[in-house]
Amino acid sequence: MIKTHHNRKVEYAIIVSVLFFVFKIVFPIYSSSILLLVNEILVLLSFYFWIRYVSDFINFRISKPLTLIINSGILTALLFFIISLSSWLFTETQNSVTDTNLIYILFSSLIAFIFIGALSYIFSVYKKICFYRQKKDPSFYFNTMLVFFVLTSLSASFLSPDNSVESLKTVDNFSIILGLNNDFVYNTLYIVTVSLILMNSFRVAWITFLNKKQKISLLVIAIVLETLCTINVVSENFTLINNFSPTLNHLFNLVNVYGVIYFSIVFIFTLIQLPTAEIIDRKSDELTSFKDLSELMSQVIDVEELYEKITSTALKVSNSDSTWITVNNDKGFDVHSAKGIGIVDAKLFSETLLNNNFVSTSNVEIIDLENISRNYNLPQTLNSIVCAPLSVYNKNKGYLFTARKSNYSFGEEDSKSVSTFAGFAAVALENAKLLEESIEKERLEKELDVARDVQYKILPQETPNFENVEISALFTPAFEVGGDYYDFFNIDENRFGVVIADVSGKGIQAAFIMAEVKGIFSTLSKLDLTPKELLVKVNQILKDNIDKKNFVTAVYGIVDIRKQTFTFSRAGHSPVYYTRDKSSEKLIPSGIGLGLNFTNQFENNLKEMEIKLNNNDIITLFTDGINESINEHLEEFGYEKLESIISDNSHLSAKEISNKIMTSVSLFTKDSSQRDDITLVILKWKNLN
Amino acid sequence: MADFNVEKREVGAVSILDVKGFLDAHTAPNLENAFNGLIEDKEYKVVVNFNELQYISSAGLGVFMAYVETMRENNGDIKFANLKEEVYNIFDLLGFPLLYEFFKSEEKAIEKYNQVK
Repeated sequence: MIKTHHNRKVEYAIIVSVLFFVFKIVFPIYSSSILLLVNEILVLLSFYFWIRYVSDFINFRISKPLTLIINSGILTALLFFIISLSSWLFTETQNSVTDTNLIYILFSSLIAFIFIGALSYIFSVYKKICFYRQKKDPSFYFNTMLVFFVLTSLSASFLSPDNSVESLKTVDNFSIILGLNNDFVYNTLYIVTVSLILMNSFRVAWITFLNKKQKISLLVIAIVLETLCTINVVSENFTLINNFSPTLNHLFNLVNVYGVIYFSIVFIFTLIQLPTAEIIDRKSDELTSFKDLSELMSQVIDVEELYEKITSTALKVSNSDSTWITVNNDKGFDVHSAKGIGIVDAKLFSETLLNNNFVSTSNVEIIDLENISRNYNLPQTLNSIVCAPLSVYNKNKGYLFTARKSNYSFGEEDSKSVSTFAGFAAVALENAKLLEESIEKERLEKELDVARDVQYKILPQETPNFENVEISALFTPAFEVGGDYYDFFNIDENRFGVVIADVSGKGIQAAFIMAEVKGIFSTLSKLDLTPKELLVKVNQILKDNIDKKNFVTAVYGIVDIRKQTFTFSRAGHSPVYYTRDKSSEKLIPSGIGLGLNFTNQFENNLKEMEIKLNNNDIITLFTDGINESINEHLEEFGYEKLESIISDNSHLSAKEISNKIMTSVSLFTKDSSQRDDITLVILKWKNLN
Repeated sequence: MADFNVEKREVGAVSILDVKGFLDAHTAPNLENAFNGLIEDKEYKVVVNFNELQYISSAGLGVFMAYVETMRENNGDIKFANLKEEVYNIFDLLGFPLLYEFFKSEEKAIEKYNQVK
């Protein structure tokens, strides 16, 4: 779309130019005022279309006004050289308006088109720059000036006395007919045009946005351009162009006048703005820093990285020697990424200022350190500090400190920018913190999955197969991984071991201890040990392998098929139920939990119990997940319910009893979330005969 | 879930920790902080008053085990007082009464400390 538009413009420009060229060949000299008029109109038209074409290119580059000005300067210089060169080449042809020499016509047309092209470019640049960074649309004044440019040029061609188209006697007739004084009309128009140029030349707002370096180069460029334009203006009329088209010659003259005036004003304004250039540079640096930081807010995940970025940016923004951040914690504050100051000193300064209320949680403060340093015995390294609170939703999270060593203290301006910056920084930090927390949460959830996985892999995939014993084993995990564990070990053809254990705590730690415990039990179960001997050994091994605050409760029992006995010991674990003929007994032989005590006390207090098994006798092992299940009123399921369910259903199979218990538990807890893992192992003895 | 709260009091040379509510894996760190504070202040004679404790899980029990050694090494102890029956039963099953001293009331526990002196 834009491209076709472009082509159209260049087509128009070329068509008009070609038309003009043909016209020039057919009528090398304007023998009548009509021809002159046509000639001038064609000049203006080509000028117009070339400007339209060139403007599009300039639009792309307007963000670099200096480059544009330099380009137009080069073109101005080029025109100056062409004038000098051709004046020297064609000195003898001066005033030979009647010369119809084809070479001369071709040459003058070439020069004229270079002029039109170059002038179009120069003029477009002037226009663009005049419009650049203007708040109000200046096109009215500019267009008026354009109209007067054309009027002045035309009047010069037709009315001016020093017009060199002397062959046109009719020109005089024009003015006579109009009854006007030639000089008067031309001069009036000229003065109006110059005043309009002056008006438009004050559009120099764009200078403000240049940095100091650019302003200095602009000063030089302005002088050079001003000089060039002045030379072009004051140099004699360029006969070659004047012969070709007087209007073009005058336009050239006017554009140069515009150049002289505009660049004089640019020069003056730049000179005026030079002292403040640094402040403006800093303001724009600040803006860029803020922009950087707000971009950072959406990228940075790591809070430490953000601290670094904040202090390094704050250093720039506040033009200070040292910066650091303090972040509040439970015990006071931490110092982060101190720049231009040691962390110990930064801590010392912050402590003194925070503890003696030199800073405020709501406002930025400028603190003159001279007296404070003396009074509080601080190092005499810093002279002035700006301390801005880092607050989000009116909650103070810490402070941003910026400090200067020199005698050049901080001012209102500095504290304002530090404060604004601190506002940004606080939000950025809060965002990063929230992000980190949500990542941590995700990580924890992953960890739970791993722990859950470990737990499932550790539990036996199948129960031992003995004709005399019905075995039901069930494990129901809570949302959060607990440390329940059960297992069976085949000792020999007549005996198997059963263990149920509960590791204290939750999560991955509990899961790992559980894995450890499984390893210990499986190894020890292969030795011919009594339950008590085995548990004592387990406790000994755990001594070096378990954290002080962790412990394991367990029941280990051995079923002897030949002897028809169940022998077990209990190390701090929940009771064992022994059920016969619909009546249950809660068995709690003495025993301390594993890992609680590593002295003889453990062994001395551990009792072993042997039960003679009869037909349909039931042994129930469970973890406290069952009796500690809670309902919505925070009431516990308790032992009594459990006991009565087993007793009432003792005629059922081990599997069925297990199901009854679990149904009852889930009916009791209803919508309450399961607090702990539930493990339930039921053994039912069957006499074979 | 339900809350947990721990407050410190001092009766002579003995520090009393009043525990309230539900002590489980989530709330255990609160109690750990309280014990850390005691050790920092070199207060090793501790009585934990369980009067208002509703529930204790294995992770909660672990906290006492983690700190009792330090207290005992410094001529102190952790003594348990005022336990509700359900809470005491949990300690009992684990064999805690064989390793720790349990008292019906806070005063008796303090008395025990003072006798030793």
